[in-house]
Amino acid sequence: MSLGMSLGNIILRVDGVVKRFGGITAVNKVSFDVEGGRILGLIGPNGAGKTTLFNCITGVYRPEEGKIIFQGKDITGLQPHVVAKKGIARTWQKVRPFKNMSVLDAVVVGALLRTNSVVQAKKRAVEALKLVGFPEEKYEMLGKDITLMEHKMVDLARAISTEPKLLLLDEVAAGLRPHEMESLANILRKVNKEKGLTMIVVEHVMRFVMNLSERIIVMHEGRKIAEGAPKEVANDPDVIEAYLGTKPL
Amino acid sequence: MAFGEWMSESKKYIIGILVVGAVLAIIPFATSFDQYTILLLATALIYGIFVVAWNIIGGYAGQLDLGAFAYIALGGIVASQLMIVYGITPWIGMFLGAAASAGLAIIIGIPTFRFGIREVWYALLSAALVVIMNNIFHMPQVLGSLDHYLPSVSGWFYLEFPTYENIYWFVTVALMFVMLINLMISHSKVGYYLRAIREDELVAEALGIDVRKYKLVALATYASILGFMGYVYVVLQGTFSYHTFNAPESIGIAIMGIIGGLGSIAGTLVSGFSLKLIGDYLRGSLGATIPGLNLLIYGLLLVIIGIFEPDGFAGIYRKYFHKEKSASKVSKK
Amino acid sequence: MDPILVTNNLIDGVLMGMLYSLVALGLALIFGVMDIINFPHGDYVMIAAYISWLIAMAFWVDPSVTALLTVPLFFLFGVAIYKSVIHPILGAEPLIQIAVTVGLGYVLENIALAIWHAEPKSFPAPWFNFGLNFGGLSISVAKLIAATVSVISLYLTHWLLTKTKFGLAMRATSANRLIAPLMGIDVEKVYSVTFGLGIALTALGASLYMMWAQTNPYLGSSFSLLAWVIVAMGGLGGVVGVIYSGLIVGVLEALGNTFISPSARLAVIYLAFFLVLWFRPRGLFAKR
Repeated sequence: MSLGMSLGNIILRVDGVVKRFGGITAVNKVSFDVEGGRILGLIGPNGAGKTTLFNCITGVYRPEEGKIIFQGKDITGLQPHVVAKKGIARTWQKVRPFKNMSVLDAVVVGALLRTNSVVQAKKRAVEALKLVGFPEEKYEMLGKDITLMEHKMVDLARAISTEPKLLLLDEVAAGLRPHEMESLANILRKVNKEKGLTMIVVEHVMRFVMNLSERIIVMHEGRKIAEGAPKEVANDPDVIEAYLGTKPL
Repeated sequence: MAFGEWMSESKKYIIGILVVGAVLAIIPFATSFDQYTILLLATALIYGIFVVAWNIIGGYAGQLDLGAFAYIALGGIVASQLMIVYGITPWIGMFLGAAASAGLAIIIGIPTFRFGIREVWYALLSAALVVIMNNIFHMPQVLGSLDHYLPSVSGWFYLEFPTYENIYWFVTVALMFVMLINLMISHSKVGYYLRAIREDELVAEALGIDVRKYKLVALATYASILGFMGYVYVVLQGTFSYHTFNAPESIGIAIMGIIGGLGSIAGTLVSGFSLKLIGDYLRGSLGATIPGLNLLIYGLLLVIIGIFEPDGFAGIYRKYFHKEKSASKVSKK
Repeated sequence: MDPILVTNNLIDGVLMGMLYSLVALGLALIFGVMDIINFPHGDYVMIAAYISWLIAMAFWVDPSVTALLTVPLFFLFGVAIYKSVIHPILGAEPLIQIAVTVGLGYVLENIALAIWHAEPKSFPAPWFNFGLNFGGLSISVAKLIAATVSVISLYLTHWLLTKTKFGLAMRATSANRLIAPLMGIDVEKVYSVTFGLGIALTALGASLYMMWAQTNPYLGSSFSLLAWVIVAMGGLGGVVGVIYSGLIVGVLEALGNTFISPSARLAVIYLAFFLVLWFRPRGLFAKR
């Protein structure tokens, strides 16, 4: 009943999601909404349950309780490839390149989700690579031969080429130098603006997200402890305690 | 995908296949129809087919299949028995044999290709499958301990001939088809998806690829080619029995596939063809004093290739070729 | 069906199950601690059985006694295999990793075939190959000894894993290969000892097995299948899971042998293997 109902501009609703591993509750009754076209930040110290929540949304884990509603439809517990087909793409915290495929072919794999023609897919892959600003002379390089920053761009293009409605970025800034972080943030802004693509940016480095998103959710020990504009969140006593208690900034 | 699009992409490979086919087709004339040589070459060529087909599941999908002769023998025995018992032409029987083999393979693939199940379980189930089928067909209710022979008939209706050149040409044409199937897979969406799966299953799933479905497609294609060719294998052997479910030879097919180079059509063809010839030569010359020498050498080759050159013959060729190229560039300067 | 025969076969199955557990434990250790797929585990049993037979013939002692030599010898053999073949492929893709160990097994099998040909070998004057009779039941003393030694060895391995410092290092490595070195664990040493230990256990199994049985080059493949089925059933639930699974496999084998036909015994186990993979892919006794 409520599923058919229009959620306004809300593209993703996470409703009371619980995920346990043995005796540990990695995600504990987390709820939030994501508005279409926006960049939502999801932060929290290491072990806060961000990646687990991510895996619940993308179908890698099936949550024990709660619902995940995407574009008005319940997608809880669907297999990862079905979730991807419905329009949720993701990038990876630990780089997972297709080592023995060329950069272009790797992105072609993503583009083939929406077409059966390899030629068509190649066109779209080139578009995605251009959008993220990947240098054209390196399209034929193998995944094992490119730099970390280049791989982050390929990973992003690979995800974008599946033509998602929602993109989840898992610690995308991890391992990058400050100036690389800055240019990556610019790429994300550009993709958000040009494609109108909704994003959830997961980070444990607060600074990166603070500049990128208008709204931020903070998780700690599996729970959502704060939600709001970057400034509000940064001054929230619970957030300060969570961060200072585990990891002094 | 549009067929025209595919044709233009693959033109040079198709020409390659035609050239290989033409060269193979005239060899019987060159041997002045020496029956021993033609049988030897036909057997080596059918191994070429097995290994090129193995490339689909091993090279593209990255699944270590160790059960080749479960599919070959099942398909061959189905077609042979249909002919012996019901007089059905192998032209129908071979398709039914292919279907039986594909069915058996899919049953094994369904539980083991699930998301998050380790590669080892499919490898084990396929390896053990040959042993189990061997045991089952050994039971008196099935084939018993006896060797079975095809009726001595001849003609295209039975695909049996008094001399071997016709079956040799049949194998040549089949090889061209199998190479073409490989080529179509590698240049299509399925090929891209299988390569992605081999690279990283988790990423493949997240990109919307139904990993199990595509692995099953690869497996079923491989198993039906083997099942289809099973009857021809029986014709070349002249006999079939529970021994046709041959476990060491099944591992041999996988070894040849890896030595040839995962994903390389030319590499797997050369490897299957030449290792079978060399292996049979060794077995013929030294087999009485040192049984299993050919297999021992395959095993050693696999270990060495696996450690030092996981891309097999194809990798060695590429390296050598690249070196030549860069060397010539330098000399031009 | 004669109830005495059935009971006899079942007891036999239980005793054999313990021996299978012993062999499978080595496989489970290598798989669990190192995450290496030692595909042809049974081929080490086969080679060890030949070595045991050679030593027994040379000194004219029962094969069980040869364990004193085969076990340390195969520990070293395992370490050597680890250093020369396994170590270089630790980072390779799964297909290559499995394939290289398959190739090793192929080499072992065909070395045996080349040296000893296909005729089975057994020790002609075994000490313990006779039955104890209890009201119609006949229990093989050799198998009883084999099962007892197996249980003791399983217990000792359990003790090693849970009560010693080295066992702790093994378990830590199993839990997280990346963090273990940060805790001061010499992962390289853990790996070579684990592999050596896993292979040493196959040698113990082989020397016990040769008390009554014969070896041939193809003995390895059935031991490999049995060991892997036990590991699949036991999941990585530790020594206890391996023992229970070994029991199940031993009894299943006996049932297949008794009620269907001797050539169906492996088929029954294969079916069980298949069903476990289908319905309980993490094993029957896996934690979680």
